[in-house]
Amino acid sequence: MIARGLLLLWIAGWIVAAFLWAPLVPVLGETTRVLYFHIPAAWVTVLALGWSMVHSLLYLKRRNLEHDHQAAAAAEIGLLFCVVATVSGALWAKAMWGAYWNWDPRETSIFFLLLIYAAYLALRSAIDQPERRARLAAVYSGIAFVSVPFLIFVVPRIYFSLHPDPLINPRGKVDMDPRIRVVFFALLVGFTMLFFWVQSLRVRVARVEHRRQGSVA
Amino acid sequence: MRGDLVVMAVALLVWGLLFWYLVRLERRVADLEKR
Amino acid sequence: MPASGSSSGRAVWAILRKECRSEWRTRYGLNAALLFAVTSLASTSFAVGRMSDRTDVLAALLWVVLLFAALASLAHTFVRETEGHTMTLLRLVATPTSIALGKLLFNLLFLISIELVTVPLFLIFMGAPAPRWGPLLAILGLGSLALGAGATLVAAIIAQTRGRGALFAGVSFPVLLPILAAAVSGTRAQWSGAPVTAELRLLAAYAVALLAASLLLYDHLWEDA
Repeated sequence: MIARGLLLLWIAGWIVAAFLWAPLVPVLGETTRVLYFHIPAAWVTVLALGWSMVHSLLYLKRRNLEHDHQAAAAAEIGLLFCVVATVSGALWAKAMWGAYWNWDPRETSIFFLLLIYAAYLALRSAIDQPERRARLAAVYSGIAFVSVPFLIFVVPRIYFSLHPDPLINPRGKVDMDPRIRVVFFALLVGFTMLFFWVQSLRVRVARVEHRRQGSVA
Repeated sequence: MRGDLVVMAVALLVWGLLFWYLVRLERRVADLEKR
Repeated sequence: MPASGSSSGRAVWAILRKECRSEWRTRYGLNAALLFAVTSLASTSFAVGRMSDRTDVLAALLWVVLLFAALASLAHTFVRETEGHTMTLLRLVATPTSIALGKLLFNLLFLISIELVTVPLFLIFMGAPAPRWGPLLAILGLGSLALGAGATLVAAIIAQTRGRGALFAGVSFPVLLPILAAAVSGTRAQWSGAPVTAELRLLAAYAVALLAASLLLYDHLWEDA
């Protein structure tokens, strides 16, 4: 209970700091503040994906359904954070460069993550038996694991070579004032804690559901 | 400056609502687990 | 089920021949796939007309047509097994790896057969400029290899679910997208005179990665269910 309260104050406090204490980044102007939410959301997206994939592989090794609960929960939560990251990124792009979507490398990458999450969850929804669902979803996770490096690092570069577009300024390295860096990392930690909390809740629900099914079947 | 504060207030409100939702969710989950 | 190298090699070959024979008996899959490919090609050509100057669009259209043909047809080897309930028998006599490799090889042959018809027709219908055959064939070859590897693996998964065609397309898309990107880029490059080595290396690397992952994952594809 104390931990929950601390998390509440932590994130709330750093939100205030983001607006009242940290300065603006010159290049970004008023839109600076988006980065405190957009990038941590993207980070949690990747974290959740990694968590899901690791547990998928663990399921294949040990055939313990607990790993499947973890993998599925992380995928659902990852999808949520991915949507947040994508939408906040699009809004930011509109404010900065006048267009919601430009297929620049980062936008392209986050879109591909969205596709992978969606495909994984769509696959799960098409299978009824828990063990078969866990196994096939885990196999797909394994395939996706191979695709991700190519999707994130290679394909955006190919797009750029096909359509060199002088309009887009890739975000690149932003020189961070120390106060900005502090708020940023604080919210990064906050978002990560939030992920683990929601993840644990979702897994507990999955366990209860599984118990119920077991007693009925 | 004013606009800034409005956005901050909205962000805090959203976080507060989310937090409250999660706490309620956790209570319901704990309840389900006991039964 | 441990199997010595030679006996599993023979199993793969046997499965490949079985697939070819059952396909040849009705030729249903091949006919449907060819018809589908030619139809998409014809619609594209009709809508777009001759595009001799836009090699960028041509490259994209070629691979979209091939991708659609692959998505429409590659799942059916597994579906046929599931619906015919012959999968159990197959698994009694061969390891999962042999089954999957046999079907992969069949799918590759299938893809190549479709491309043998579709690619020349595409070049003719769309009024495409003469390709540099060396690079183009290399891209087609490696692209098909990667396409076959990815699509076969996903098809094996989908065949065991309630979903069918639409699910197969949606679920395989993230996996096949790198292939599409590299193949389109390479096809365009061979028309504009640029080197295609980067794209070929990419396709080869991805194909190898997919095949390696497949070998590790095949054993988990089918269980006693």
